[in-house]
Amino acid sequence: MKKKLAIIGNGMAAGRLLDELFRRNAGTQFDISVFGEERHGCYNRILLGRVLAGGTADEIMLKATGWYADRAVTYHSNKLVTKIDSVRRRLTDSAGEEHAYDVAVIATGSAPSVPPMEGLRGADGKPKPGAFLFRTIDDCSRMRDFAKPPCSAVVLGGGLLGLEAAKALSDMGLHVTVVHRADWLMNLQVDRFGGEIVRRGIEKLGIFVRTGQTATGVIGDDRVHGVALKTGEVIPADMLVIAAGIRPRVDLAQASNIPVKHGIVVNDLLATAVPGVYSVGECAEHNGLVYGIVPPIWEQCDVVADVLTGANPAARYRGSKQYTKLKVAGVDVASMGLIDPQQESDEVLQVMEDRRGIYRKMVVRDSKLVGAICVGDGESAPSLARWFDRGDELPPNRLDILCSGDISTSAADREICNCHHVTESCLVGAIKDGCTSLPMLSEATKAGTGCGSCRGQLTNLIMKHAKATSA
Amino acid sequence: MVELALRTHCPYCAYQCGIRMSDAAEAILGDPHFPVNNGQLCIKGWSAGALLRHPQRLTTPLVRDSRKDDFRPADWDEALDRIADAMRRTREQYGPDANAMFGSGALTNEKVYLLGKFARLALGTANIDYNGRYCMSSAAGGNNRAFGVDRGMPFPVNDIGEAELIVLIGSNCADTLPPIMQWFQKQKANGGRVIVIDPRRTSTARSADLHLQTTPGTDLALANGLLYLAIELDLLNREYITTRTNGFDAVRATVLNDHPARTERITGVGEPLLRQAIKWMSAAKSCMFLTGRGAEQHSKGVDTVNAWTNLALALGLPGKPQSGYGTLTGQGNGQGGREHGQKADQLPGYRLIENPDHREAMAKFWGVPAESLPRKGKSAYELIDALGESPGTAVPGLSPIRTLFVMGSNLVVASPDVNRTVARLKATDFLAVADSFLNETSQIADVVLPVYQWAEENGTMTNFEGRVIRRRQTALAPTGVRGDLDILRELADRLGCGDKFAFNSAREVFDEFRRATAGGTADYSGITYEKIEANEGVFWPCPAEDHPGTPRLFADRFFHPDGKAKFLPVEHRPAGDTPDAAFPYLFTTGRYKEHYNSGVQTRQVGELTKAKPGPLLQVHPTLARRHGIAGGNLVTLESRRGRAEFRVDVTPDIRPDTLFAPFHWGGREGANLLIGGFLDPVSRMPEFKLAAVRVVSVSKSAP
Repeated sequence: MKKKLAIIGNGMAAGRLLDELFRRNAGTQFDISVFGEERHGCYNRILLGRVLAGGTADEIMLKATGWYADRAVTYHSNKLVTKIDSVRRRLTDSAGEEHAYDVAVIATGSAPSVPPMEGLRGADGKPKPGAFLFRTIDDCSRMRDFAKPPCSAVVLGGGLLGLEAAKALSDMGLHVTVVHRADWLMNLQVDRFGGEIVRRGIEKLGIFVRTGQTATGVIGDDRVHGVALKTGEVIPADMLVIAAGIRPRVDLAQASNIPVKHGIVVNDLLATAVPGVYSVGECAEHNGLVYGIVPPIWEQCDVVADVLTGANPAARYRGSKQYTKLKVAGVDVASMGLIDPQQESDEVLQVMEDRRGIYRKMVVRDSKLVGAICVGDGESAPSLARWFDRGDELPPNRLDILCSGDISTSAADREICNCHHVTESCLVGAIKDGCTSLPMLSEATKAGTGCGSCRGQLTNLIMKHAKATSA
Repeated sequence: MVELALRTHCPYCAYQCGIRMSDAAEAILGDPHFPVNNGQLCIKGWSAGALLRHPQRLTTPLVRDSRKDDFRPADWDEALDRIADAMRRTREQYGPDANAMFGSGALTNEKVYLLGKFARLALGTANIDYNGRYCMSSAAGGNNRAFGVDRGMPFPVNDIGEAELIVLIGSNCADTLPPIMQWFQKQKANGGRVIVIDPRRTSTARSADLHLQTTPGTDLALANGLLYLAIELDLLNREYITTRTNGFDAVRATVLNDHPARTERITGVGEPLLRQAIKWMSAAKSCMFLTGRGAEQHSKGVDTVNAWTNLALALGLPGKPQSGYGTLTGQGNGQGGREHGQKADQLPGYRLIENPDHREAMAKFWGVPAESLPRKGKSAYELIDALGESPGTAVPGLSPIRTLFVMGSNLVVASPDVNRTVARLKATDFLAVADSFLNETSQIADVVLPVYQWAEENGTMTNFEGRVIRRRQTALAPTGVRGDLDILRELADRLGCGDKFAFNSAREVFDEFRRATAGGTADYSGITYEKIEANEGVFWPCPAEDHPGTPRLFADRFFHPDGKAKFLPVEHRPAGDTPDAAFPYLFTTGRYKEHYNSGVQTRQVGELTKAKPGPLLQVHPTLARRHGIAGGNLVTLESRRGRAEFRVDVTPDIRPDTLFAPFHWGGREGANLLIGGFLDPVSRMPEFKLAAVRVVSVSKSAP
């Protein structure tokens, strides 16, 4: 008799969990059902910007609705689970229907965090026409239908999501103002100086930025006419997009007496305190942390799939190192670990190239990299990520790591022609002495006259050094 | 009187350069008329003559009465009788599957065919495999899944010279197939570009236009990341995807997860380089992806190959002129060796032993009942792991392999987890080895048979292009040495089925063998020795004598029944052996230009050992400083399986988290001592290109 496994939620965490389960042949152990409150299959929410920019839902679809049936997964679309009775092992959905389960995984993710704003909602309790959340495919299509030049829009929130929405709206020709409560943009990923460089990139696109501002109300009776700030100022706007962060969706857990702090509290097995109920993704809180980026959530899905299927009963989730990398308005931003030092002994290195718009920073603890920021530079992030992930002891000169990457392209004198044992320095010498063609170089040094496999390298040397000489 | 030819092919790699023997047999020149190497040779090729009259050459069979005794010379009858007796005894006591044969990618097609026939008909054993399992089996698996056929390169090598962009994934072909570089030079002269993907800055990488210095084991993630960008930047060939392929939607959904942030973190390659690479790939009028062992020798080797075939298909490359996916096969007859029945799951003509139609066809051809043919046997490393009784390996109800015959392979150096391999070989009841020199494997054997070398016999090889060529006899063998075909016939005689092995020459075997392939995927039936001579080789498939052969595949259709190629959804996964705090570094292996595979031949050549007397461990200066390592020091590395010792070369050509050493040597400097037996689920390829290691000790002793 197969056990019933219920996955509550159908976002990216649920999709990944399904993949991990099937990778472990969970179909032979479980009858799996998925409860999703949207009508679509599972899609990649990170790429919502594409839909806002005019792409189709299919472009970001991870699992179309047919996927579930093909794998004998029962998919309840448009269904919100409202309560878990963990003793009778029954789920209740918003239509009042009950569903039996043996094991449940809550993957309800997060909801947009909506700041208290006077006049935001109409009489029906819904945001007034012109006010939008930025969270689902349907949000995107509604926004896209509404946003017609010469509209003007206020985007509330200058983090990842807000800036992405702002760029998409600006690309449609709208007048866009970003209102951000913190003193600089992307304050979760970068420090003040980094935020300043991001701001310059955003402003270059023609987007206006107001940092350190709190929006307090929506002006307009039946639709949005403007956004009021705490200063008393009003920004006229036809459209308000709320992208001011997210909060874990814990209402189901709360209604079901499952312990919740900021998120649903789970241990290293991703288990809640209630037997038979697990949680992964943006709704789960592990060791005091709620993760809002993809890699940690995948690691959670990996562990919970191991545990539930028995594929590796010893699997444990120990927390994740956080790494974010993205392009905001053409500016590369990478951020990992700490943004600022936390302990007195923490060491900080910063290199600012103000005019070029490049900023690099690292936080070092006990000779190990515990945090780094790169803005405006796409090259050095991967090697910094390696130091961060591996925790190797850094070399004495940390600037080497911060600025030059460390996979060097130059080397000591090496043998280029193995057949005749001709070294690079010998070849460069000959080129500088006037051997500026391959036949001349081979004649003078014998290089390339054996198996000939080094001739490509010889040509490169000639191109590099002959030019330098003639210049 | 034997008539000696003047032209033949090099004994070593899959490039199979044409060579000319001069009057003094030791002096070897490149054959200017063979259109693959056009007269060029590498240092291994032109020094290969030293092997022929080498003082260490075995010229008499060696036997010993127990493993404690030393070898003593014996005559051929005694040696062959002992092998046949052991095989007969083993079969009677433990059943037919307790005998096993282990072949090689160095054997001619004739030998491969006969070895497979010998295992299935004379021994009736399922257990036959070969060292090609260690070579390109992952590329074979990936090719079959994507295109329905496995010919390493679907185009002749000269197409490289015409391609606008070439992407080399895990191949250091400037060192491993040196004469191939002439085509890259031509390509460069034509204005083409080369991208090299390798954890090391190799000689190949140094001559490239773009080098992506990946973390070992991440080529799959890289390809998926590039496909993500191709989708984002709208660089797909949608018409091609619709008309010539199946399965794109599933792949698209999979790679939506491969955002550049993820790709960067896994591969260590920065987003700007990723974008540059994909732009070059999509803009080039012709573009080839060529993988080497660096991408393939992983426990996810087949999926890695398919990540690249996916990208190639998404860009519409396979079948387009000078474009598509290929693998640079390594061993001399790595291609032919994987087609004709020395692989556990295979019958001649690339038929599958578990396919009822294929079994029926071969059984009928051989004149035996189909049910008498054994089923699929164990893959190379699994076969080794099943040798001899031991508490660690004995699976209840599964009788182990007691007697092993090895032809042309040095298992001890070439297999993963050397300590375990040696223990398993020692646990056999009987071990026989046929080779020209004593090596690390034959040291353990009960009987060693001295055999002909490359220039001393006739036969055919299939090079890395799928071109079938002639090995010709250009030299006389020393007295006392015999050929592999001869040995198989003698053994078959002694086992009572000599009538099926009554061949007196390679040509006679070839004439049966080519008919055996008729109707198979790798159809050689229209190829004759004369046709090969007249055309400098014939490309398979060649199903009829008036058929010209097939230099280029896929122009109109792929080999799946509906003629379309397949996309395969594949995802990055961690290696079998992953670094942790105790074993923090990645260790990877590769080759020197001066040596070939397990070094049995090249370590005998003075000129080669003088140039490269032993392996050097590449250590990045940052890592060296951390452990107080200086160039020339002797460093002991340890993995979860064993220790190895290497002299150090401190160089920035390697990544700071990775160590590299070549695997051509045995003893304490055996790189494969460190490597684990983690196998690819499809190809059963061991994870040679990666092990988690730590630095145990550094000794400053002078070299």
